[in-house]
Amino acid sequence: MHIELPRDASLDGHLVDGAIGYLTLTTGIVFALALVFLLAALLFHRARAGRTWGRHAHGNRARDRVLMFSVALVMFVAIDVTLALRTTRDLEGRFWRYPDADPAAVRVEVTARQWAWSFRTAGPDGRFGTPDDVVTLNELDIPVGRPIYLKLRALDVVHSLYLPSFRTKIDAIPGATTRAWFQATAPGRFELGCAQHCGVNHYKMRGIVVARAADDYRDWLGRAEADSRLRYDPAASAAAGGWDWETGK
Amino acid sequence: MSAGKVAASDEGELPPEPTGFWRRWVFSLDHKVIGRQFLFLGLAFLAVGGLMAMLIRWQLASPGVPVPVVGKLLFGPSGGVISPVAYTALFTMHGTIMIFFAVTPILIGGFGNFCLPLLVGARDMAFPRLNMASFWTMFAATAVLTASFFVPLGPPEAGWTAYATLSTAIGAPGPGQTLWVVAIYLNGASSVMGAVNYITTVLRLRAPGMTYLRLPLTVWGFFLTSILNALFVPVLAAAMVLLFFDRVLGTQFFVAGTTPGAGGDPILYQHLFWLFGHPEVYILILPAWGIVGDLLAFFARKPVFGYRVTVGALVGVVVLSCVVYGHHMFTTGMSPLLGESFMLLTMIISVPTSLIVLSWLGTVWRGAIRFPTPMLFCLGLVFTFGVGGLTGLYLADITADLYLHDTYFVVGHFHLIMAAALLMSLFAATYFWFPKMFGRMMNEPLGKLHFWLTFVPLNVVFFGMLAIGYQGMQRRLYDPSVYDFLKPLLPWNRAVSHAAYLLGAAQLVFVVNFFWSLARGPRAAANPWEVGTLEWTVPSPPPHHNFDRIPIVVRGPHELGHPAARALGRDWLSQTELEGDTPPPRAPTEEPA
Repeated sequence: MHIELPRDASLDGHLVDGAIGYLTLTTGIVFALALVFLLAALLFHRARAGRTWGRHAHGNRARDRVLMFSVALVMFVAIDVTLALRTTRDLEGRFWRYPDADPAAVRVEVTARQWAWSFRTAGPDGRFGTPDDVVTLNELDIPVGRPIYLKLRALDVVHSLYLPSFRTKIDAIPGATTRAWFQATAPGRFELGCAQHCGVNHYKMRGIVVARAADDYRDWLGRAEADSRLRYDPAASAAAGGWDWETGK
Repeated sequence: MSAGKVAASDEGELPPEPTGFWRRWVFSLDHKVIGRQFLFLGLAFLAVGGLMAMLIRWQLASPGVPVPVVGKLLFGPSGGVISPVAYTALFTMHGTIMIFFAVTPILIGGFGNFCLPLLVGARDMAFPRLNMASFWTMFAATAVLTASFFVPLGPPEAGWTAYATLSTAIGAPGPGQTLWVVAIYLNGASSVMGAVNYITTVLRLRAPGMTYLRLPLTVWGFFLTSILNALFVPVLAAAMVLLFFDRVLGTQFFVAGTTPGAGGDPILYQHLFWLFGHPEVYILILPAWGIVGDLLAFFARKPVFGYRVTVGALVGVVVLSCVVYGHHMFTTGMSPLLGESFMLLTMIISVPTSLIVLSWLGTVWRGAIRFPTPMLFCLGLVFTFGVGGLTGLYLADITADLYLHDTYFVVGHFHLIMAAALLMSLFAATYFWFPKMFGRMMNEPLGKLHFWLTFVPLNVVFFGMLAIGYQGMQRRLYDPSVYDFLKPLLPWNRAVSHAAYLLGAAQLVFVVNFFWSLARGPRAAANPWEVGTLEWTVPSPPPHHNFDRIPIVVRGPHELGHPAARALGRDWLSQTELEGDTPPPRAPTEEPA
């Protein structure tokens, strides 16, 4: 029974793991110090022969207060402030800096419903709702080394797309469009799932991320597009999900 | 109480005690009886919610295996196996029952009712009839909730948070969810009645000399909790009313998606729910903090270390708790500025919280610590709250939350607070006030056995959940082995489940001790713990009107190790005793010999 995080296959996952590691280290130290202090008090200051009388001190003197506030503030700065600065930097520099202007970004429309995911990738024309769109069910095919830009919607209830190996998670909400992005660093098959209770079959709302090297991805996309064109039916385009990427309509 | 002059004021004649069975034990106006009613109701639901936890753990440890003994009875149609529908109903009702129908009635309804008037030196609550209405509204809520198990399409299955649109007709068409909404609304009405009563009692009925800074921390805890209840339970009620309209009248406040014409907003529900839901955590933990603050001082035989700082910190937590709820919604795609603000505000709570913990550590330091059962449970709370509080930082941090949100790490974190720390405080309070409530002592060896059999498995359970969540397992999965990356976690889930069974079985020690002591425990003296707060100045159990004469308070609640007490041959002074260095606030009437 060893303990480890799922394999990290993402460009920015180390930032998440780093924050978790920093927290484990610092809160571990704080907890250990407090525990040692508590156990020392319980051991040495327990009532026994020769120690029947507690010290009549209210801890209301100025130095007591300075001590309490100093310890609290040192912990606050060392853990919370440090972490908040680091997180703000990571959010604004990475996780929440969406690749809107990045021509290399692969855009995927994600539609969640009870209890499946559909993923729609714009074909070479870069537009959604055209014959070359590739739609996959419970399988997200992505290239390694390019930003994957997801926009999500839900048809029925709130779901949450959970990508453990890419260290991210974003809700899919009826009536709203949410977004997230990540970048795979290694080819492979990784699981994706639903993190938000969405009904009785929530546990079955599992899918696969297939990350392919650039050449492999190009081959796969070519085959998938050809297949899409063959099956394209303008009258049924709405059934494939999807919406206008820019306007969200 | 041993020798010592006592200050008390004269009062007029008191109305007589009711003698009929119904007036005395059922529709009683006496806060002590109502407190016990809440206590028994809550304990019954604690047992039900606990047994549901056992079934949830059974499914996670032995997926698809028929439940032994009760399986055929409870899950007959599926051959004794817990079905996905049953599992979903179980975790929904486990959460609902534990938070709204177990911990709330036991802690706030039970101990709040019993303690508040006694601890502030009052003869009853400010509004005894409202108090009775509060209990019977809660009772009605439990009846409605129980009914939701027995309706077509089954019990509610939207989780205890009942997120829209899963909780609307889209995800939960049956009447079970509607009954759930009504039950939560009635439960909230009961809480608000209690809150109004508690606030008024503390504001208006404190005994002469009982200044705010002489209140026991227990009273501060219940007082501040009541303020939060009065402010935020109505927000939950609003959410329930809108959800009820959506379900029954066909409105669409929370409905969106493919439903034709739906222009509502499911996220609005989350805002309303967590605007209440985060203060709710503090609503429950504040009384626990108060109780533990007092009891650590009582059993360390020392005053509370930094009483004023602690009171300030409690108030600080109350204020901050109103502005942090957004950390429950980091993954809903909220605007970056809003997200970062909620993150920072949440982290600021760690300052008053660490002051409270430092006060606990300073209180036991250089004491003459005694270890009766209530003290063991208090120390258990210090430990579990420490871990629970620190793991909260992981979830306050948005980067870490991207990964940990909605995993078992969250489950472990909030159980360490809402289950572990609160259970510790409930048991500490029960062992501590049992003599005053029922006039008999509980059995100490059984109490200590109960503590160790609870404390050890409890930590295995919730540390195990943290470890499972750290490794990526989501919440509320009927069968985690659907995911390949979660398959290796089965041994972890088994270990947690086995510890949970032990934890559940250990509570039989408590049940036996409780009922045996109720019938056969040795008679309790007025002040078995040798402490100075007002409830211990009256007999155990207290007379109908608590105080024959309203006491006059001359000092704070934690005067232990007081030098002036040496002359009396003990180490504590009561809040009403005139000896000592604190002059009385007003001319006292001398007790006539």
